[in-house]
Parts: sequence; C-alpha cells; structure tokens
Amino acid sequence: MQQKDSWLLPDGIDEILPEDAKHLECLRRKILDMFACWGYELVIPPFIDYLDSLLTGSGHDLELQTFKLTDQLSGEMLGVRADMTPQVARIDAHNLKYEWPTRLCYVGTILHTRGDALEKTRSPMQIGAELYGHAGKESDVEVIRLMLETLAITGLQNVHLDLGHVGIYRALSRQAGLTEAQETALFDALQRKAKPELQELVADLAIGDMLKAMFLKLPELNGGKETLDKARAVLSNADDNVKQALADLEAIAENLTTKYPSLPISFDLSELRGYHYHTGVVFAAFIPSVGREIARGGRYDNIGAIFGRARPATGFSADLKLLSVLSKEINQREQRARIFAPCSDDLALSEKIRELRAQGQVVIQQLSGPTGNAKDLGCTSILEKDNQNWVVRALA
Amino acid sequence: MLTIAVSKGRIYEEALPLLEDAGITPIDDPNKCRKLILQTNRDDVQLVIIRATDVPTFVEYGAADLGIAGKDVLLEHGAESLYEPLDLKIACCRLMTAAPMDAPDISGRIRVATKYVKTAQRYFASRGIQAEIIKLYGSMELAPLVGLADCIVDLVDTGNTLKANGLEPRDLIMNISSRLVVNKAAMKMKHQAIQSLLDQFEKTLAER
Repeated sequence: MQQKDSWLLPDGIDEILPEDAKHLECLRRKILDMFACWGYELVIPPFIDYLDSLLTGSGHDLELQTFKLTDQLSGEMLGVRADMTPQVARIDAHNLKYEWPTRLCYVGTILHTRGDALEKTRSPMQIGAELYGHAGKESDVEVIRLMLETLAITGLQNVHLDLGHVGIYRALSRQAGLTEAQETALFDALQRKAKPELQELVADLAIGDMLKAMFLKLPELNGGKETLDKARAVLSNADDNVKQALADLEAIAENLTTKYPSLPISFDLSELRGYHYHTGVVFAAFIPSVGREIARGGRYDNIGAIFGRARPATGFSADLKLLSVLSKEINQREQRARIFAPCSDDLALSEKIRELRAQGQVVIQQLSGPTGNAKDLGCTSILEKDNQNWVVRALA
Repeated sequence: MLTIAVSKGRIYEEALPLLEDAGITPIDDPNKCRKLILQTNRDDVQLVIIRATDVPTFVEYGAADLGIAGKDVLLEHGAESLYEPLDLKIACCRLMTAAPMDAPDISGRIRVATKYVKTAQRYFASRGIQAEIIKLYGSMELAPLVGLADCIVDLVDTGNTLKANGLEPRDLIMNISSRLVVNKAAMKMKHQAIQSLLDQFEKTLAER
C-alpha cells in the first residue's frame, strides 16, 4: 500500500468518530439497561473460537461468512464469529445448565467475509437477547416485545412487525416427502416468491395435486390479518403441525395487538429467512425508508443439543451500528457542559477537579504551551481562583 | 406513494400497455423529455427511468418499490434479496451462445466474450467446460471476428445481428422475459397497494 493511502480502511470496515460514537454508546447502554430490567443477563462470548463450535447448527451461508485462521497452538481451525447466537446457546447448554428458563443478552462486533448485498458493512455490532428453556407462545411474545422495546429506545417511528413460521414449509416438505435437493430448490424459489419458477419446479414433483396446490399458494400467503384465514382455507389438507403453527401465529399477533394497539402487523408464510436454523415462529421489524428489516429473530429449538443439552430457544438480534445511524437524526444530542481548568499545579485545583469529575461533570484541564483556549475546546464555563477557592464561572 | 423502476427502450415500450391496463399512464414521454422521474395520471404512482442493469439495485435498496427487469439482468445480479412474483412475458428473447458460422467445436479451454459474466461462468461450469470469460459492455459479436474470443454469450432476438456478422446461434442457455420485482420491505409495508397492482397485472396477463 502506498504511503498516501495509509488512512484507507478495508472494504466494509468502518471507524466511528466522536459524535457518532457517543450516540452509539449511549444507545448501547440504554438497551443493555433495558435488557437487565427484563432479567436478561449479559454474557461476553469470545471474539474467536473453534470453527466447528461457531458453525454449529448453521447453514452453509454462515460458513462462507466466517473469517478463518489456523490456531498455531493446536493446529485446529479457528473462526472469527460471524454470529454470536451459537456461542450464547453454548453458554446456556454447557456452562449454565439451569433447569429453568434462562435469559441472556450480548453485544459485540462480529465479522463477515462478504458484506451483505445491501448493508456493505463487514463488521456489524450485533446486539441481541435469547431466551432458553421455554417452548410456548409466551416466550415468543416476550422476545418480540423485547425487540420492539429496543426499537422504542432508538426513537425510530412507524415500526412494522412481520411474522412468519418456518414450520409450515417444513411440515409441507415432510408431508410431500421431498428430497433435500428438491426442498432446497423450492426454498430458493419461495424465498424470492418467484411464482413462475415455483410452478415449473412443482410440476416436476411426483406428489399429489393437493400438495402441489398448497406449495403453489404459499407465496401468496402474505399480508394483513386476513392472511391467516386465507391460509387456513388453502392449507386445510396439511397436517396438524401446520394448523398448530397458524394457531400460534394468531395467538401471538392477538397478544401483541392488545399490548401495542397501533403496531402494524403483517404475516408472510413463505418468509424463510434463516430456514436452516430456525424451527418455528420467525419475525422481523421494518421501518419506512429502509428497504430491508432492521431487526430480526425467531425460534431455533434444540441448537444446544450438540453441546450436550437440547433446549427450546428463541431470540432476536440487530446491528447496533445500523440502529445508531438510523436514529442519529431523530435524537437531539444532549451536549454535556464542559468546564475548562487552567494549567496549574495548585493542589486545591486538582482537588476541585476531582470533586467535579466525581459528580459526573466534564472537566478539561489545559496542557502547557499553545493548546487552545476554553472556546476552542467547546467549554462553556471555566474554573477560576476566587480568594483561596476555585469556583466555576460561566463564560460570556 | 409507489415508485416503479423501468428501463428505457423495449422493456418500457412493452410495459406501457400493462401499466395502462392497471390504470397507470405516464404523463411525460421519456423519449421526448429528459426527466428521469415520470409523473403518472395517478398521484400515488411514479416511474423512474434507469438503466436495465440498475433496476435490481434500485429495488433492492428500496429506492423503488417495484421494478421491471429482464430475467437475464436478475440472474447476473443475483436477486436473492428481491421478490420476483410475476413473469410479465414481455421483452422475450433467448440467452444463447453463438460462434462463427461453421467453426468447429473447441475442446479444452475456451474464451467467451459476454456481459453476463456470472451467468456464463455458471453455465459453462454446469456443462463441464473450462471457460475464460472476457467481460465486454457491448458489440459482443465483434469479439470472435477479431480473435478476442472463441464464442459469445448474448441475448438473441431475431438473430439478424449475429447473421450480419457471420455468427450463428448455438446452445440455448435459457429463455428470457421480463419479471416484476418487488422490494421486500415494501411488499410488507405497502402490501395493499402492491398486491392490488400485482392482481391487476396477473389479470391482464391471464387475458392475453
């Protein structure tokens, strides 16, 4: 690299400057405090980890997204985490082993080998919460509410909730006895709601007309509350798992509507984001002016099995950097008052400064030489000696 | 407000009747004015006129809620982050390989000139052929004539351009037509407006 380019950052890697960092850190603290008030305990998983452990229960996508390196000590492959969820699941399954539901939260930088198609960043700051050990609707609702509260803290307006259930497509594939290759091909078309391609694929399947009709209708099952009624009619010949999934979705939506009457909720039964990983209800939050979801989550039961304990699990996560950027405009930055202290070795002055800082005030002490005056440093008041005492005086 | 991204030229011309049936008529003619945003007879619908290859990008980011793009463009772009619910069956053509007339098949590594780099790579890999892809932005037909490539991958409509340059179509890679693409967030947040438009298009297509 040329000397003149030494300031250049790698693609998708960013640095956050003071104003923005202050806002991000403020959000981080508020969100973690809120998690704590809901009983979610903070865990700090390692930044790099054995690759096998990182990729547990995840699909091929996560493997591509993970930076890999060789451990010089053990000769094993290590990976830099591209998702913290499997690490947190391991903590629940292996380290904590509580018999009761466990609530954990986390925040940290993750790395991606390739930027997302939309978010070019390769170093998101993942923040999220996970609830282990409960398989019912109450835990789904709790985690969705936690996501909504997180977004409320950012101040983002007009949040829109989208609900789906990967169990529906899973049950239909099982009922149809699809091979893995067929399931993947249909998944790909469904994910894009590509009806023309779906028609071609389904026509080639050796399954009954009844099942074919259900697959073909899946991409149309999205929209408002009426979607569930439509789904019940269209999927009337599906097995009980599908009926249970629809009933669960309805109950969750009703529960949320009573708590958030103005929250727009939509359903999308062919939304299969994280299909390899999720097992039940999936959800995402959208806001106008952003072309993709800004927070997402869902149920992923039994991921801990490989670490010795299968447990129901659900959770959500978001990119704190993205939330910070989106909410920057809305949040008026509270500028903390800064006090300017002259350069002096006076013991009384150091004592006064220590006292002010202990109260949470910002005091900037001048260095020797030409180091800028109070105005340059953004100070609104100054410490001055009045008789033997140092006092704070407002600057004109 | 719904924003629909359309590319100028053939796709625009053939999309107009479809839009008209759905009650959308642009007020300006993009061939006569230089405006990039076209107002329509409906207050809640506008068109943006962009390059064909930019349509998936605009829709992905949500800069446009809907778009009309050729399947060739979508394949090359990689459109996992879009919905493509409808085949509009307009601007139909074929994506084909073409080589100089009567040229013998080449065994081993071949050189291919195309603007569809990823699609060509995938196609030759699936056929078990080692191919070196040369990215060109236009006048593909020239490449085999001047020894730049052994064959080309390009859209073929009538085949007249190929013939005029001494080339002949060889293998069909896929049939191409234009698709309606939808931004994922818009599909959820502007569901009613988009769904009614989809239904209208579907109805028109069924009647054709």
